[in-house]
Amino acid sequence: MLPIEIENLRFTYPSRETPTLRGISATVASGDFVLLTGPTGCGKSTLLRTMNGLIPHSSAGTLSGSVLLSGKNVAAQPLAVTCRQVGLLFQNPDEQLFCARVEDEIAFGLENFGFPPEQVAPCIDAALAQVGLQGFRERRISELSGGEKQRVALACFCAMQPKVLLLDEPTSHLDFRGTKDILSIVKRLNTDLGVTTILATHRTAEVAPLCTRVWLMAEGELCLDKPKDEAFSDSGPYHRLGVQVPEIPVGESARYRNVAAISRSRCRSSAGEVSRYRRADASSRSRLLSVCNVSFRYPNTDAPALKPISYEVCRGEVVAVMGANGSGKTTLIHLMAGLLRLTDGELRIGDRNVTRKKRPKPHQLAGKVGIVFQNPDLLLQAETVADEVAFGPKNLKVAPKLLQNRVADTLSRFDLGGLASEAPYSLSRGQRQRVAVAANFSLYPELFLLDEPTTGQDAQHLHQLMRELCVEIKRENRSLIFATHDAQLTLTYADRVLLLREGELIFDGPPDTEFLRQISLM
Amino acid sequence: MQQIHLTPRAKILMMLMSGCLVILLDSPSALLVCFLASLTFGAVLKPTLRQIRLLLVFLFFTTWGLIYSQAIFYNASPRTVLLTLVPPEFPFIGEMTGGIRVYREGLFHGIVQSLRFNTTLTIGCFIIWTTQPRDLLRALVRLRVPGTLAFMVTTALHFIPVIANEAATVLRSQRLRGFRYLRVNLFATVRGGLNSFRPILAGNIRHATQLGESVESRGFSPDAEGAAHFQTVLTGMRLLDIGLLSALAACIIVILCLKVLYFCYANGLYYASWLRHVYTLTREML
Repeated sequence: MLPIEIENLRFTYPSRETPTLRGISATVASGDFVLLTGPTGCGKSTLLRTMNGLIPHSSAGTLSGSVLLSGKNVAAQPLAVTCRQVGLLFQNPDEQLFCARVEDEIAFGLENFGFPPEQVAPCIDAALAQVGLQGFRERRISELSGGEKQRVALACFCAMQPKVLLLDEPTSHLDFRGTKDILSIVKRLNTDLGVTTILATHRTAEVAPLCTRVWLMAEGELCLDKPKDEAFSDSGPYHRLGVQVPEIPVGESARYRNVAAISRSRCRSSAGEVSRYRRADASSRSRLLSVCNVSFRYPNTDAPALKPISYEVCRGEVVAVMGANGSGKTTLIHLMAGLLRLTDGELRIGDRNVTRKKRPKPHQLAGKVGIVFQNPDLLLQAETVADEVAFGPKNLKVAPKLLQNRVADTLSRFDLGGLASEAPYSLSRGQRQRVAVAANFSLYPELFLLDEPTTGQDAQHLHQLMRELCVEIKRENRSLIFATHDAQLTLTYADRVLLLREGELIFDGPPDTEFLRQISLM
Repeated sequence: MQQIHLTPRAKILMMLMSGCLVILLDSPSALLVCFLASLTFGAVLKPTLRQIRLLLVFLFFTTWGLIYSQAIFYNASPRTVLLTLVPPEFPFIGEMTGGIRVYREGLFHGIVQSLRFNTTLTIGCFIIWTTQPRDLLRALVRLRVPGTLAFMVTTALHFIPVIANEAATVLRSQRLRGFRYLRVNLFATVRGGLNSFRPILAGNIRHATQLGESVESRGFSPDAEGAAHFQTVLTGMRLLDIGLLSALAACIIVILCLKVLYFCYANGLYYASWLRHVYTLTREML
């Protein structure tokens, strides 16, 4: 009997007219490792939720068709029964962990399933060993890195010994090391314990070497279902949907060792594209940002989040800030935006000096610095997209006629013209991110800061956004600084890279061989 | 100091019972004893320095707010004026309000109210700070609180720091886009403030949904039937829990009886001369 059989599955959310899943039929054999990919909003997460019973048990909507788990209809059996066999790991570890300590988190599921106390302790130890976190039992979850938190979340399911493991973008918040750890654990569970695995992701290059089968989804339909060997023989469907195609068939663990090779290949393959955004001559440009011995320490912490660092950014320059989770990327971005008070050093943005004692108020930096946070939803507060884009210029008292032109111009630049009267929250994640960028861009800031633009984005939307931004930044002689884990994004768009490790600037230079060497060591 | 471990159910029941107790009491001295007892209870749970600082901030603002507001807006009679802030003849505000004064009885009433509030606030804070969210959730379900409500309460508490962080980010992002919260145009300020709630609310809904799905995926069921079926590993109440709760219950029952007797005496319903000391004790101390 096949562990999962999906038959003509359709699902429509209550507030939507069009179905999110449109007649999906597929089967998954025992021990299969399925890579599920597709553009943002195509229904990947919804499909995973129907497989572990969250839909229809915990979500309203209209469901037809069936998902059979070992021959039993998931919709017809209690959710708690399905969850015993099917684990679902979510994207953001911070949003799925519930307890303060690691052992309590893992015990939570076991206790819900009525495991007697004498069985709970050994299960916790075994699960921690499976995810390589021996000795973490007593640790507080708030003290763990992003990658470690995600491993704890995975351990929760390991302890319950599910037959099927579903993973919804499990690495989108993680750095190279965290991603590598999670994927190797998942692969080990799949090969050693025979856990049937379905992993939804945009980062196909990292998962493709591990999978046995590929599902490609588009607009709620499964448009490709093939074994791995055949799945990538024709890259046409992937390109049409803007989904990343694995370029080099790499070995499981070789991917990270070979990052330099991949990146060089990427450089060569997109040389034309890169040259459009790069401007080699930095000496002729004037300085926009100057960071001089800046350090930062969060209150009530011993170690500094940023050790003294110095660098300058010129007008027209696109700079990538890279580093592992917790290396200080976001802290640096927030310092440059004047959102945090420096512990020491001096920062100069245009003609404004920022020191520990002298910090301009955020509204005084409006029009000079624009920032889009990792979670763009925190920027969206207006009722329509047009109002959102107009919010900043209105605050700066731009004349009504100029304002109208500026809003129209910004909307068209970011391909949002057709969505001007839509509510920002009704849009897809990719569209919301574009709105957040446009809402800052309409202020025409001299320094544009972008924190982790890749999170939850498919390749098409991401490159569309970055292309648009880079072209405008170069044309208007402003500067863009973006924090990312994605080496390919850096190689394609950045003139320069700042590489951080544990709050220290270990590399500042062009994305060349030395950068590739440094990043392959991380 | 040895840390005392109470089960989450005992802590919740203790908070509810202390809430009843402070409602029964009217005397500032008795309420002060209750408040000091709540601080002692908190001390044995060994709070961190940060938690103590936070509690002091809470206590300061509730005490100040309650005493100040009651002292000014006290409406019952008799009332004695201690201080006149705005005389009745003062243009507009004075004429409109008939004068703003600080009343002694209002001050006294504010002290009583703040002691009541602070006692439950202190116990509540210590319970939240020393109880795991999953234990709190289980305890509430076990106390027959509807599963959905129990989950809502626990999630709300779990997300307080997250909400605070997100709210700060939203406010910062608005200010970086040129918005000023303090300006002459009050309408724009209020509208901007209200707009700030939209992303915060949306974020909360998203977090809560995700967390809900996560715990359901790990077998937690908010409905009573599911909870009863799957949650078999609840720690039973220990002797210490039972002892403390019994003592508290006994206190409440005794004070309630004394109050009933005094009520009957004060309203001419029942009087016994041998209970004179009880009436005096109730009037003076309770």
